[in-house]
Amino acid sequence: MERETLILLEKFDQLSLTDEERDAFLKFYDKQLEEKKALDAVDTENVERMVHVMPIMTVVREDEAKKIYSREDLQKGAPATSEGYWQVPRLVE
Amino acid sequence: MKKYETVIGLEVHIELATKSKIFCSCSAEFGGEQNDHVCPACCGMPGMLPVTNKRVVDLGMTAGMMLNCEINRTTTFDKKNYYYPDLPCSYQTTQWFAPICVNGKVRIQTSKGEKDIRIKQIHMEEDAGKLVHDDWTDTSLVDYNRTSVPLIEIVSQPDFSSAEEVVAYLERLRSLLRFAKVSQCRMEQGSMRCDVNLSIREEGETKLGVRTEMKNMNSISAITRAIEYEVARHIDALENGTEELVQETRRWDDVKGKSYAMRSKETAGDYRYFPDPNVMPIVIDDEWFDSIKASLPEFPEVKKARFIDELGLSEYDADLITQSRAFCDCFEAAYKECGEAKEVANWLISDCMNMLNKKGSTMDQLKVDGTALGKLIKLVMESKVTRGNAKKILLVMDEETIDPEKYATENNFIVSNDTANIEKVIKEIVAADPKSVADYKGGKEKALMALFGKCMKTLKGNCDPQVLRKILLEEIDKA
Ligand SMILES: [Zn+2]
Repeated sequence: MERETLILLEKFDQLSLTDEERDAFLKFYDKQLEEKKALDAVDTENVERMVHVMPIMTVVREDEAKKIYSREDLQKGAPATSEGYWQVPRLVE
Repeated sequence: MKKYETVIGLEVHIELATKSKIFCSCSAEFGGEQNDHVCPACCGMPGMLPVTNKRVVDLGMTAGMMLNCEINRTTTFDKKNYYYPDLPCSYQTTQWFAPICVNGKVRIQTSKGEKDIRIKQIHMEEDAGKLVHDDWTDTSLVDYNRTSVPLIEIVSQPDFSSAEEVVAYLERLRSLLRFAKVSQCRMEQGSMRCDVNLSIREEGETKLGVRTEMKNMNSISAITRAIEYEVARHIDALENGTEELVQETRRWDDVKGKSYAMRSKETAGDYRYFPDPNVMPIVIDDEWFDSIKASLPEFPEVKKARFIDELGLSEYDADLITQSRAFCDCFEAAYKECGEAKEVANWLISDCMNMLNKKGSTMDQLKVDGTALGKLIKLVMESKVTRGNAKKILLVMDEETIDPEKYATENNFIVSNDTANIEKVIKEIVAADPKSVADYKGGKEKALMALFGKCMKTLKGNCDPQVLRKILLEEIDKA
């Protein structure tokens, strides 16, 4: 992976790594990619896409509205709230 | 000046008419106090697992069938990653690799004739929350009520070449999806929103020009103005070099009538889609597929033609009734009950429409039960209830479910056939008002109306007006 790509990903995920951390991650990531190349040898021509690792499909529920949790309970762990809103640092406009 | 052509593609977001959210049981109802419709799942608490609302899949399939799509019998959900506080999980659960519907088409009608717009795909996804910026504390306030409300996104191919075509398409989508009860498609409430992708190229050129996108447009007139503005801006840039066109997201300011480039944070999009392991794939078997197929409504134009050809409605009446599925359903049930198509149409178009207008409701919000309306019309036609009193009963029918005949009986709305009583009332009134009698005999028509009104009032309206008039004239003659 290119260093610039990693820096872009950091930006997307609100991270900022030190140069040492970047070096370590890039080394680890490239090694991973190298190892995965072994998979290229497998012929997947007529293999269907595996849609999920578990053989469980179509887990659905009926369309019924229920209220189980109170707003107060849900906001107990919030660092800041205001009049029922979660309060977060202002976004740059 | 060179000749240019406009190329437009649309992404239309439509909020589905469900009671609950897409992956949890919270209410999906519009409004409510902030963060009142939330639970650990839709506000992104760690460890909560989503469970798909079956109705969302039903409606996704319905939309696809109405728009001539192929249905993916195995459909899966994916994560679209971006970091923003209106998205508590930092990803949106949507469909990328196997959306529920693909390859559809919608026929539109414009001043240039008919045209098919191709649908690339329809996918199911969750809506985001709402942010309010608080200037006092310089913070942002988050409301997760809309988070995880189910949406479908209908992605068209870049097949439009004018604002007129875009408007015709949006109106067609709205009509079909309202008919199939997929959504109310109310742009003013945000239950139908539109992203417009637009580029300009020289006529004959096959490569697409630089594309700009305007997001979250929510009124037809604003969309028309925005498209016209963007086309002019692009052509000006190409012709006169006024600016260099870049691929970007722009915001339309409908008050100023201008579009503005948005800051990069909202356009920097590498969403890194990957399959969401928490949502199990949906497999649509034949039974499920067939049940949805069987539930599809007749298309509005087919219904309209049938109302005209088979039931003898006028073009105007049929057109108006087929604007709304609720009106169609009410019309058909009432017709089945009373067999008088024209009469039912009159009640719907004048009385029901007036009633809805007064309440500020839309046609689709009509609550009157069709069978009950048919019964009410029968009562009027059999002269058991006067038309005036039937109108009063209709108002009640839009509030609660009642049997009109039972209600009329209980509230003394049944026309009295007791002519003896009618005669007695008329005799008393005629005797008590010799002046009006003399006036009428002297040629004043108004005097008759006054007497007639007094009698009707005393009888509480429960009298066939024809009968009343006849007896009244006889009594005046005798007086
Ligand atoms: Zn929830």
